[in-house]
Amino acid sequence: MESVDGAHAIVADGLTKRFGLRKAVDDISFKLPQGSFLVIFGPNGAGKSTLLRMLATLSRPTSGSVLLDGINVKEDPAAARMRLGMISHDHMLYPDLTAEENIIFFGELYGVADPKARALELLDAVGLKHRRKDRVRTFSRGMVQRTAIARALVNDPDIVLLDEPYAGLDPNAVAVFDSLIESIRQSRTFCMVSHDLDKGLGLASHVMVMRSGREVYSGLRDDVDEASFSALYKSTVGQGVA
Amino acid sequence: MSVPNKPSGMRQFAALLSKDLRRELRTKEMLISMFVYAVLVIVVFGVALSFARPSDDLIQVSGGLLWAMILFTSLLGLNRSMSQEMEGRCIEGLLLAPMDRGVIFLAKVTSNLMFLAVVELIAVPLFWVFFSSFAHPADTAWLIAVPLIAGSIGIAGIGTMLSSMTVNTRGKDVMLALLFIPVIYPLLHCCVSATTSALLGGVAMDAFTMSVALAVGFDIIMILISWLLYQFILDA
Repeated sequence: MESVDGAHAIVADGLTKRFGLRKAVDDISFKLPQGSFLVIFGPNGAGKSTLLRMLATLSRPTSGSVLLDGINVKEDPAAARMRLGMISHDHMLYPDLTAEENIIFFGELYGVADPKARALELLDAVGLKHRRKDRVRTFSRGMVQRTAIARALVNDPDIVLLDEPYAGLDPNAVAVFDSLIESIRQSRTFCMVSHDLDKGLGLASHVMVMRSGREVYSGLRDDVDEASFSALYKSTVGQGVA
Repeated sequence: MSVPNKPSGMRQFAALLSKDLRRELRTKEMLISMFVYAVLVIVVFGVALSFARPSDDLIQVSGGLLWAMILFTSLLGLNRSMSQEMEGRCIEGLLLAPMDRGVIFLAKVTSNLMFLAVVELIAVPLFWVFFSSFAHPADTAWLIAVPLIAGSIGIAGIGTMLSSMTVNTRGKDVMLALLFIPVIYPLLHCCVSATTSALLGGVAMDAFTMSVALAVGFDIIMILISWLLYQFILDA
């Protein structure tokens, strides 16, 4: 994946992850320019989430390296994490704390100067300011996911990682989620793992297809013809378009 | 994007601890289950000893019974403490934060210790009330507070490390007990010895100082090892 405009937000070089004898991710390399939106497609077990977890510093690569905003995550993981936000199908929120308490808590972990003000600002942005005093346990799946977005943005990250963020959302919640992603997209770099070809191509500036831990296609979204990409996806993945 | 200043470990520790306390005060999930379990153990001991005659011999086993209650009660709390972090994969939210894993360990040990202390503050006097009807401890009995403190610190420290290891395993409750009891055995032995010495008083007090010193030494070494290993445990 070539840079088109200078600095790279994410540089992955020869990333490999083994679980015993099995290679979950096999020698993946790419450079993602700042402000771009990479969508990684692939079937279950392709290694997409494992790759994302290595980018997120949640999993150590067996070999290879990752630079986030030029910072080697192995050498200075804390500095890399300061620049990172992650939204997953797991919300990473404490159900018995309120939405506001959750955001303030994570704000304190990231050293945000005024976590309460930041929590109010973010909950307002995701349309949950009126429910800020309610426990997350009482929220619908869509509301939980919106709170998770607020949590992921508490440190104002340069890079946002999305791991199947649409899982379990109803169409209305998907629309709300899309508009939120659009509103925070400017000047941030995104890397999303998805099965959903239509949704992914709608958001992507760069695309990658993985199968059995290996990259089978990568390139710019604009170079992709949807029909041929869909055919390629079907043939490489061996499954229908999600 | 403006990157915030790197936060201090102390601020992160305070945030983690206050989160655990707030959540527990709200749900009382751990405290109630630990307390109920402790009371049930006392009742079972009561039944087991109900046909014994009041005699000094019962003091010999009292320290062991007290620590059996504390050990099994703490196992329940330790399992719940880490299980709560797995709900919604909250633990990954912590791991994504720019934070030394040792800070997570110390905060978790502190909160587990506080919950155990609260349960002990109620359960130990209850045990005492029950036990005093069977036997008459010596005047030095108040010194059991010393092994209680040393033992609880060790249980919280080692238990936090082991429960983090076992929380993702199948049959985590059994797995924690299988690892925890052998590892904690030397501490348990020292605490039972010190507690029994304090209850017997007199010449038995000779063993008290040595047992407490060994328990404190065990705490220091094992908590240091747990703290150093915690990064690798969480990464794994």
